[in-house]
Amino acid sequence: MSEIDALKAQLESLQSEALSAFSAVADLAGLQQLRVQYLGKKGALTEVLKGVGKLAPEQRPVIGQFVNQTKSVLSQALDAAEAELSIHAKVARIEAERIDVSLPGRASAKGALHPVQRGLDEITAIFSQMGFAVAEGPEIENEFNNFDALNIPPEHPARAMHDTFFVNPIGDEPMLLRTHTSPVQIRAMKRFLAEEGEPPLAVVAPGRVYRCDYDVTHSPMFHQVEVFKVDRDVSMAHLKGVLKHFLSTYFEKDVSIRLRPHYFPFTEPSAEVDIGCVFCAGKGCRICKNSGWIEVLGSGMIHPNVLKSVGIDSEEFSGFAFGLGVERLVMLKQGIPDLRMFFENDVRFLRRMGS
Amino acid sequence: MKIPFSWLKEQVALTSTPAQIAGNLVRLGHEVEGIEQPRAAVKGVVVGRISSKQPHPDADKLSLLKVDIGQAELLDIVCGASNMDTGDKIPVATIGTSLPNGLTIKKGKIRGEASCGMCCSETELGLSDESAGLLILPADAPVGLEIGDYLALEEAVFDLSITPNRGDCMNTRGIARDLAADARLPLLEVAPPVMEVDANVPLTKVAVTASTDCPAYLARRIEGVKLADSPAWMQTGLMLAGMRPINGIVDVLNYVMLYLGQPMHAFDADKIKGEIQVRAAEGGEQFKALDGRELKLNAGDLVVADQSGVIALAGIMGSADSGVSDGTVNIVLESAFFRPARVSETRRTYAMVSEASMRFERGVDPEMVLTGMQQASKIIAELFGGVVGEITVCGNVSEINAGKQMHCSVTRIEKRLGLALPEAVDDVLRDMGFGIIRLGDRLEVAIPPFRHDVSIPEDMSEEYARVIGFDAIPEILPALTTTAPAQPDRSIHDAVAGGFLQAVTYAFISEKEQRLFVSDDGNDIGLQNPISDAMSVMRRTPWAGLLNVAKHNLNRQQPGVAIAEQGRLYSKTAAGHDENNVLAWMMVGETEADQWYGNARVANFFDLKGAVEAWLAVRGLTARFIADDHIQGLQAGQSAKILVGRVEAGRLGKVDGDIAAAFDIDIPVFVADINLDVLPEGKKAKFAPLAEFPGVERDLVFLLEKSAFVRESNTDAIVQTVSKAGGKLLTDSRLFDLYEGKGVPEGKVSVGVRFTLQDPKRTLTQEDSDAASAAIIAAMDKRFGAVLRG
Repeated sequence: MSEIDALKAQLESLQSEALSAFSAVADLAGLQQLRVQYLGKKGALTEVLKGVGKLAPEQRPVIGQFVNQTKSVLSQALDAAEAELSIHAKVARIEAERIDVSLPGRASAKGALHPVQRGLDEITAIFSQMGFAVAEGPEIENEFNNFDALNIPPEHPARAMHDTFFVNPIGDEPMLLRTHTSPVQIRAMKRFLAEEGEPPLAVVAPGRVYRCDYDVTHSPMFHQVEVFKVDRDVSMAHLKGVLKHFLSTYFEKDVSIRLRPHYFPFTEPSAEVDIGCVFCAGKGCRICKNSGWIEVLGSGMIHPNVLKSVGIDSEEFSGFAFGLGVERLVMLKQGIPDLRMFFENDVRFLRRMGS
Repeated sequence: MKIPFSWLKEQVALTSTPAQIAGNLVRLGHEVEGIEQPRAAVKGVVVGRISSKQPHPDADKLSLLKVDIGQAELLDIVCGASNMDTGDKIPVATIGTSLPNGLTIKKGKIRGEASCGMCCSETELGLSDESAGLLILPADAPVGLEIGDYLALEEAVFDLSITPNRGDCMNTRGIARDLAADARLPLLEVAPPVMEVDANVPLTKVAVTASTDCPAYLARRIEGVKLADSPAWMQTGLMLAGMRPINGIVDVLNYVMLYLGQPMHAFDADKIKGEIQVRAAEGGEQFKALDGRELKLNAGDLVVADQSGVIALAGIMGSADSGVSDGTVNIVLESAFFRPARVSETRRTYAMVSEASMRFERGVDPEMVLTGMQQASKIIAELFGGVVGEITVCGNVSEINAGKQMHCSVTRIEKRLGLALPEAVDDVLRDMGFGIIRLGDRLEVAIPPFRHDVSIPEDMSEEYARVIGFDAIPEILPALTTTAPAQPDRSIHDAVAGGFLQAVTYAFISEKEQRLFVSDDGNDIGLQNPISDAMSVMRRTPWAGLLNVAKHNLNRQQPGVAIAEQGRLYSKTAAGHDENNVLAWMMVGETEADQWYGNARVANFFDLKGAVEAWLAVRGLTARFIADDHIQGLQAGQSAKILVGRVEAGRLGKVDGDIAAAFDIDIPVFVADINLDVLPEGKKAKFAPLAEFPGVERDLVFLLEKSAFVRESNTDAIVQTVSKAGGKLLTDSRLFDLYEGKGVPEGKVSVGVRFTLQDPKRTLTQEDSDAASAAIIAAMDKRFGAVLRG
């Protein structure tokens, strides 16, 4: 056998030996070893090349071409094996890192606003968006702001109906826990007139109120929102328009409203406001006592005596006002059956109503 | 107030159904709380005749009846009553009938025997609260007739809630007037009947000295009355109207009051000594009321009195001894007009309510003072005999509320309502008693004396509105009145974002709870009429309420509770009453439950401190927590005041164990509060360029005396020392490790401090950080005697 044939045979056997080694290797590290073993500086192929020096110069290019070819075959085979092993390695890693995605997430403390707060926020926001300014007032009031200025003189039967809590007087002046948010009307109008001179003014006044009444359907402390607007030519039609917009926005549906004549000392005319039952769509159910209507608030055109008490000319200006019970609206919207739950502060209730 | 439909129909020929009438009443401003329908309630119950009666083969107490209800076949009925015999007429509830007690009659077998109906008692028909067996009807009752028709049961009873302004409608007459006008039907004329009087009956002597409070007083003597129960029709009517029969005379007076609205009183004439005086009470005067209460009257209360003392609190209640009783023969009838405000004030003073006072304080119809007297006298004479005397009249009823006029422009009312006023509506109002004249845009109104509530144009706007109907008013959104919206208060919202549930507790707590956290300095604001001791003082601490929330929830197996509340605290000040806005937190029990990734963790001081710090950080504020052993209710050594700048803005700490125990809590509870009224404005976020050169982070670990660390040095002082010593390049420093135990000598504590140096203009060198470290080590040694740990 000629030198060249011997080399060729050597290369061929090297190639087949290498290829079978490549296909047997199990991991990337082993493959890297084989790459060094066959194609490295001191590798098997280099060894074979050492024999090239013995060849005649004209034979060298022939065998050189043969060597390059072998090198290229091995190199490609290595790359292919590496690619395949990489995929295997990745798959293995992914499999090793597999988790149970149904395990609960790490808990972080979840707070919740009280449902009454959410009601207050929602109601106040609706009126803010309609341009009503937010006002607040003290909860401990005098009789003038809570009653007299609102056209409820001392001997008035309505005054007794308010079940007023009295607290320590200031000097000789009796003080009470406000029985409604209406005194904010008086305070806000006075302040406004002092600052601006004359109407228009539009105010929304949320707050806590107190009545000396405690049973299944009464809480001695609850929340009201007082809404009023005074301007030239404010009419009952405007009252109805604002009520319709507010109640439809709050209940997130187009609710129908019904006004019934009623009596409040601070409004004339006065009206109780019903909405079409949000539970049965007016068909009649237990909540609306089969009437199809649910009473939600009291309203009316501000009595001239109230405007007079703060110095607004009732010949020139008129206004509407209404006061709504926040707990009542929240109960209707959220389907809460019992007023007392609001003040028990059971965390299960707070969590459930807060989501 | 309840009004039977038949009473209204006597006054006006109404043809509508009860439901339609109710709708009209609501539209006119009279709230209908309910409609009882006694006749409809027993529909399906008919008159039956027992044609045979056999004992039940398997039950001693049951009978087998064959009952004729006028149909082809007799009904088999098993009956448990024993008071009936063959031939008796009885009410029979037929199959499918629903009785007032909720029972629905079905075909069935009782102890093996078929039963096709039920024989009824009065109770089962809703006619009486108790009964002894079946209702046995008169022998001439027509078989097969509906029992409701046979007994002439009332078709409907309206339960009305009359508003306080409409005293004129607290009777059948007033409601009938509104309904008649609304339906354009005539209202029955009611004129005082002409009475024959006997001049031999002596005039009752009356002296009215309090004529302002009592502008009219009528009295009349009736002699020789034979007192008996009122007739059944009257008793039935009174009960339908919600009143209890008392005795013949009182029943007549109540009946007339329910019809005409004029409350009256009857005295036993033989118990009155001397003349009747209507006068102001003397202070301290005694009065024993009909309801048994003994009152000491205030000067100024209006009373009816004789020589021996007060015989009635005018318009409210008679005395226990002067009224009509079994032996009464001669009576004095009183019919008067008492000033509403007077009655109201006295009634409230003694917390008394009567049917009379409810009407007087709303104002009665002056015209009915005489009419009522005459009507009542007439009925009494007819029912109980007696000789009727002349009326003693004091004052002039025709002057009361007389001649009230009002005028305004039609346009003004139209503008107020957003509604046109058709002239046809004037006729309705005329039928309601108003004298109305329109002259172009000018509206002139004569107001009837019984409308105490109407005096100004706005009052008339309501009259027009209710007659036309509020439904006719359009819904129009007014033009916007814009105001710059204020920044909404986010205090509670940010606390909730920190993982707390918001609670709302009562603003009043018990004095005992108040004393746990606030000492008795006389500045509590107390309720003068509290509902209970538990709600008797306005709170000066937010913590009592929160501890009660903790108690409620821990008692319900909640492993941990984190609550925040925003509200006011109330206290007396030199100037008056102060209301102070606070935000408060409470944490107790587990903050984290046992989990697959870790064990349960129980809340401690630093959980709550972190929450407060985070809340402050949202507002651009930082606080220093200064140990304070003297915060009432908190445990010394685990309590701090919260300083924001120089302002003492709040407190934080562990609730004293004994106090927690008072709320049945036996695990550590932590509370905090922030006074929102004193909290300074925080820093507004402002842009600054981000550092481009890397910073250097270094850790230094020191050994300190433990006692010095806890009591004086504390972390704030260490961080302060490090910051100061670290020089201008120091951008951050904090405590990152705190350790005692193995490897640390007894009585010492190992404190790790991490600081960051950074220069905006260059990369720092080893020399920079070495210099800073050296300065810090020196400062720590100087201030705390701290030694760098090897």
